[in-house]
Amino acid sequence: MHTLIQGIILGVLTGGVYALMASGQTLIFGVMKVVNLAQGAFVIASAYLAFSLFTQFGIDPLVAVLITTPLMFGIGVVGHWLFLRPLRSEDANQLSLLITFALAMLVEGILSMTYRTTYRSINTSYANKAFDIGGFSVSAVRLYGFIVSCVLLIVLYIVLQKTRFGRAIRATVQNPQSATLLGVDSVRVKAYGFGLGISTAAASGSIYGLLFPFNSGSHYDLISRLLSVVVLGGLGSIGGAVLAGVIIGVVSSVAAVTWSPTWSEMTFFVVLILVLLVRPQGMFGRVERGAL
Amino acid sequence: MNNINHSNSGVLLKLTDVVAGYGSGMVLKGVNLELKKGDVMCLIGPNGAGKSTVLKTVSGLLPPKEGAVVFEGQNIAGHTPKENLRRGIVHVPQERSLFPGMTVWDNLLMGGYLIRSRKVIQDRIDEAAHLFPIVTERRNTHAGSLSGGEQKQVELARTLIFDPKLILLDEPSIGLDPKSRRLVFEAIRGLATAGRTILLVEQNARSGLAAADQGAILETGLVRITGVAATLLEDPEVARLYLGASTMTRPPAKTQQEN
Ligand SMILES: Nc1ncnc2c1ncn2[C@@H]1O[C@H](COP(=O)(O)OP(=O)(O)OP(=O)(O)O)[C@@H](O)[C@H]1O
Ligand SMILES: [Mg+2]
Repeated sequence: MHTLIQGIILGVLTGGVYALMASGQTLIFGVMKVVNLAQGAFVIASAYLAFSLFTQFGIDPLVAVLITTPLMFGIGVVGHWLFLRPLRSEDANQLSLLITFALAMLVEGILSMTYRTTYRSINTSYANKAFDIGGFSVSAVRLYGFIVSCVLLIVLYIVLQKTRFGRAIRATVQNPQSATLLGVDSVRVKAYGFGLGISTAAASGSIYGLLFPFNSGSHYDLISRLLSVVVLGGLGSIGGAVLAGVIIGVVSSVAAVTWSPTWSEMTFFVVLILVLLVRPQGMFGRVERGAL
Repeated sequence: MNNINHSNSGVLLKLTDVVAGYGSGMVLKGVNLELKKGDVMCLIGPNGAGKSTVLKTVSGLLPPKEGAVVFEGQNIAGHTPKENLRRGIVHVPQERSLFPGMTVWDNLLMGGYLIRSRKVIQDRIDEAAHLFPIVTERRNTHAGSLSGGEQKQVELARTLIFDPKLILLDEPSIGLDPKSRRLVFEAIRGLATAGRTILLVEQNARSGLAAADQGAILETGLVRITGVAATLLEDPEVARLYLGASTMTRPPAKTQQEN
């Protein structure tokens, strides 16, 4: 029983981080109907950035988020402008998959050249610290990561729900023609929406770098996990992605403690296949109903 | 300077030999149309005639290939919807145009997307609520869960947030029951009384013409007939060809608009 609860705690904490990564991915799908295969690569790139900021300047990875988030936003906007904007809308759906995959390769290539392919990890002073909460051991890194993820998810929620820019994004997602007719510049919304989606990679990267050793190829594993989360949540649904992140986090962590770590790895893919077979639109996805 | 000349003659919108289409085909083959300030014009015609396309060339959703779209004395052909919105042209498309997952209130706020002053938006919403009380009664309801008729009312209310000079309405009565339809036409009359200029496309041709000052008939991409709406309604030839023959033998009574 103790190990089970321990597993659930661990799962919720890890799930919060998946939730953050996946929210960006699903936001991008919502705004542009693009499955962004480069999301994992941007997370790893952010992990490297956090690594450099830590080793070169001694900036804590969780503080570095304040630097990397706007940076990733900018990279997202520029990336959209360079690679996705030129697509003609008729081709966009099919081609964008190839283009974001190419973008992932590009990021990976740059990272391998800059940092080589040896595994890195970020060893902060609290890397091995753990809190004892009611008899359960909670690692400091996971707890901090979870808190940062929650804060950013709340910020993301407020931006989308309460600001003019957020309304424009939601409007574009729900009815692009109508948004255009009300004066929304859809190209700009898409660029900023893509930037916002990519910017969630920044904090995710810092936390990922604190939790796991990584190299430039780590994004393959990551993107397949993210896809499972996003598909379970329902493509385009941020609430769904958050819930799915936590569910998958818990299931895989419980599988690890009660069964075997190998099965834990498999959870993501089992979930992905089950969802695609049973309910392809995911928990909160809409079956093409005009809006999304 | 041009402006003054045109506003003197009272013409708000004038289409001259407008040619437009999707891809290589031509849908509009030289449309001519003139709309006076403060008038309601109803554009009717068979499915596929190009009625919606006319509205798109005016709002900027579809740039015309040839011809001029002159609004307040300025040729706006090929300008973007955003630019035309700033000039005061609002287009309510044929398809549902609310954002279904947003509240009625957020939908109205989107109607004022280009207006920076929250105060102005708030005032306009209050004004719109006089004509369409539903927007305050159901302000926190998700637009997608309103009935079709209720959604139409919110759409119409939303156009007012922009204080438009010209409202383009594409088949506002489509899919509505007789009661909601009557409400929509009453609303259009209300807008007209308030001095708005409206270009209305209607499949319910009789009701549309009855609510309009002017009428125009579009067929295969050309305007065939234009005239005073009431005259068109009483013209037996027009009735036979475009309105359905039901009341051909009797002069149409103005109060019986339900068909
Ligand atoms: N987005 C589009 N892409 C390609 N062709 C289109 C598009 N929209 C309309 N058309 C074509 O243009 C022609 C005119 O369409 P339009 O929508 O203007 O007709 P309409 O008079 O509004 O008809 P309805 O009464 O059915 O609404 C039709 O033949 C239609 O197939
Ligand atoms: Mg039409």
